[in-house]
Amino acid sequence: MRIPCPYCGERDAHEFAYLGDATLTRPDPAAAEAEQAFHDYVYLRDNPAGAHEEWWYHANGCRQWLRVARDTRTHAIAAATAARVSGEPA
Amino acid sequence: MADHSSHDPLAGIPFDRVPPSGDYGAGGAAGVSVATTDTPFIALVVARNGFAASVAGRLGRAFGVEVSDRASAAIGAASTVVGTGPGRFLVLSKIEPDLAGTLRALLGNEAAITEQDDAFVTFDLAGDKVPDLLAKGALIDLDPRVFLPGHAATTVIAHSGVTLWRVHESGWRLLVARSLEASFTRFLVASGAEFGLRLENGTAGRG
Repeated sequence: MRIPCPYCGERDAHEFAYLGDATLTRPDPAAAEAEQAFHDYVYLRDNPAGAHEEWWYHANGCRQWLRVARDTRTHAIAAATAARVSGEPA
Repeated sequence: MADHSSHDPLAGIPFDRVPPSGDYGAGGAAGVSVATTDTPFIALVVARNGFAASVAGRLGRAFGVEVSDRASAAIGAASTVVGTGPGRFLVLSKIEPDLAGTLRALLGNEAAITEQDDAFVTFDLAGDKVPDLLAKGALIDLDPRVFLPGHAATTVIAHSGVTLWRVHESGWRLLVARSLEASFTRFLVASGAEFGLRLENGTAGRG
């Protein structure tokens, strides 16, 4: 599998470290249901067959986090974009 | 006649010692030459958020080269600026002993500067067979028709992290973490022996 890094170009998956689901949003810790929401956020994962969004870290390249759109059935990668947009607060 | 046979060019050399200077592998004219004798001053520049373009411009004007925020090497007479990530540049200089200080004065609050003088061993590879040698350990396409002079990459070669760029038609420069010098030199010798490899090293670093 090769991931098209926006800075480095197409690179072998061995250069990357995988984090997981990029579709999750950190819950509001002040909300009433925060405890349950954080349990779900930390432990519960879907296992979709098909299109998925994932975090990959280009450890042996530009050392940037990427958001990768991958098909879990075919490993076809539709897009890879930098997780951090330059100019925005880190 | 090569000093070390092509059958087993690393015979008798402890695996944790840097192989000594000499001719390895196939006899006749060496197809690849490897030298670690050049020890440039090195510093890492990381642009603060939003200053990547400004830092690239300042580096370019200061060193008289065309610097852009991408994986390429801007090669000048005394200095080279290599992109290693968004807003990240490795600067190499032959003539600036206090390179980090010079860069701090140049860039002020626009970037974080780290001195890297002793972090890397600089491998200078020359010869038409260099792409064939590197292909044995690389995950990226280093074919000379694709990877042109001025192109740079931060990647993995022989399981070691490497920043490399093509200096000119048949010259390549690789930066490898200093603690990996012995194992990376062994990879070069083992992979280059079939072409005949001339190794020149022996500097112990600035330490």
